[in-house]
Amino acid sequence: MKTQLIELNINDQIYEIPITPVDLLVDVLRKKVGFTGTKKGCGQGDCGACTVLIDGKTALACITLAIACQGKKITTIEGVANKDGSLHPIQQSFVEHGAVQCGFCSPGMILSSKALLDSNPSPSELEVKRALSGNMCRCTGYILILEAVHAAAEKMAQAGVK
Amino acid sequence: MYILNNFEYFAPETRSEALELAKKLGSKAKILAGGTDLIIQLKEKMITTENIINISGVDEFKGISCEPGKGAVIGACTKIADIEYSEALRKKYPALSFAAGEIGGPQVRSMATLGGNSCHSSPAAETPSPLSALGAIVVISSKSGDREVPIEEFILGNRKNVLAEGEIVTKFVLPEPAPKSANRYAYIGLRNAMEIDAVNMAVNLVLENDGETIKAIKLVMGSVFPRPLISEKIPALLIGKKLNDELVEQAAEVAQSEAKPITDVRASAEYRRDVVATLTRRLLKEAYAAAKEA
Repeated sequence: MKTQLIELNINDQIYEIPITPVDLLVDVLRKKVGFTGTKKGCGQGDCGACTVLIDGKTALACITLAIACQGKKITTIEGVANKDGSLHPIQQSFVEHGAVQCGFCSPGMILSSKALLDSNPSPSELEVKRALSGNMCRCTGYILILEAVHAAAEKMAQAGVK
Repeated sequence: MYILNNFEYFAPETRSEALELAKKLGSKAKILAGGTDLIIQLKEKMITTENIINISGVDEFKGISCEPGKGAVIGACTKIADIEYSEALRKKYPALSFAAGEIGGPQVRSMATLGGNSCHSSPAAETPSPLSALGAIVVISSKSGDREVPIEEFILGNRKNVLAEGEIVTKFVLPEPAPKSANRYAYIGLRNAMEIDAVNMAVNLVLENDGETIKAIKLVMGSVFPRPLISEKIPALLIGKKLNDELVEQAAEVAQSEAKPITDVRASAEYRRDVVATLTRRLLKEAYAAAKEA
């Protein structure tokens, strides 16, 4: 299998990564770059654990070819916190509301929430539910997750966070 | 880590490059657009391929043009989410917008494309039913030129369509909705999100100038036949008449008589037949009321 070097922009940093055309983004992130925050759940694009942002929009890294992400801006959960290391308001809200149980779905939940709040800072209850409808929580902690997203939206609106 | 079979990857940037590659590689290549069906099929080893041509970077295959009085042209690589959120499309073609918004979840909709949904040719696909009700034409391109095929003739059966070697679906052309008309879509699935329709249905209903008599109607059922099923009996029953409760009941019965559902993991044939009647009643009433207001 022919290996080639590609450049990927992950969390605003350029990585030169040896890949083959068949490598999936989730595997490249986890095994070649070391961003293990992106989880591999069903591997079929159903569960949302592998959700990342590509050019600001949610995408499923388990059914995305890494080679197809050249020239795009990839955001993983590792790129969500503030530059000083403090948590992003959405992350902080998940912690405060007990929205993290086993934690496996949390990176995907937080990235889906971020994509929503970036484009719609004050979503309705239905809009939040729709935005998270592609993310499964096996602990079934949905209520607290929804509460955390609404609280984060309010906090971000007050603080003028983008 | 190497779950997929080994393939060569091509990412053309222009229409002519894409068509050139499609011609050169023919049946030895699969076209990648959003990947929400193709990559899963490759991972599941349902298919293998020697080459992948990723056409998602070709700008000429993307975009929505929907101006007043001019119908719409939608590039095949337009994302489902862009169709869902297009205000212009929602105004003219609510059936298509609604269907687009009910596909998978947000991640799937921001990856998947309109062309992919038709080219995958799943009997349970969401968008072919409204596209057919709206009279959409599929534009198929190759090195030797373009050809146009109505969507219902494009899909031949379960994962079968008329695409020949070297051909790529490049756009969909939708006619301007008729005056005094309304189009609607409805479906039943096991859940609201991340499901595949057990039955879906789209209707496009046109009234005469009196605002009450049905002038034309196209009702298309999905997931009850190997391809989108266009009712022949509904127009025969309803054209020239004013809708009433009795006609709605008769329409539900004739739609049921035409559907040929199967029992599978999502629903039994018996349940699907019941749903066909329910959706027929619901959509006829909704579309008729909306067309009267139009």
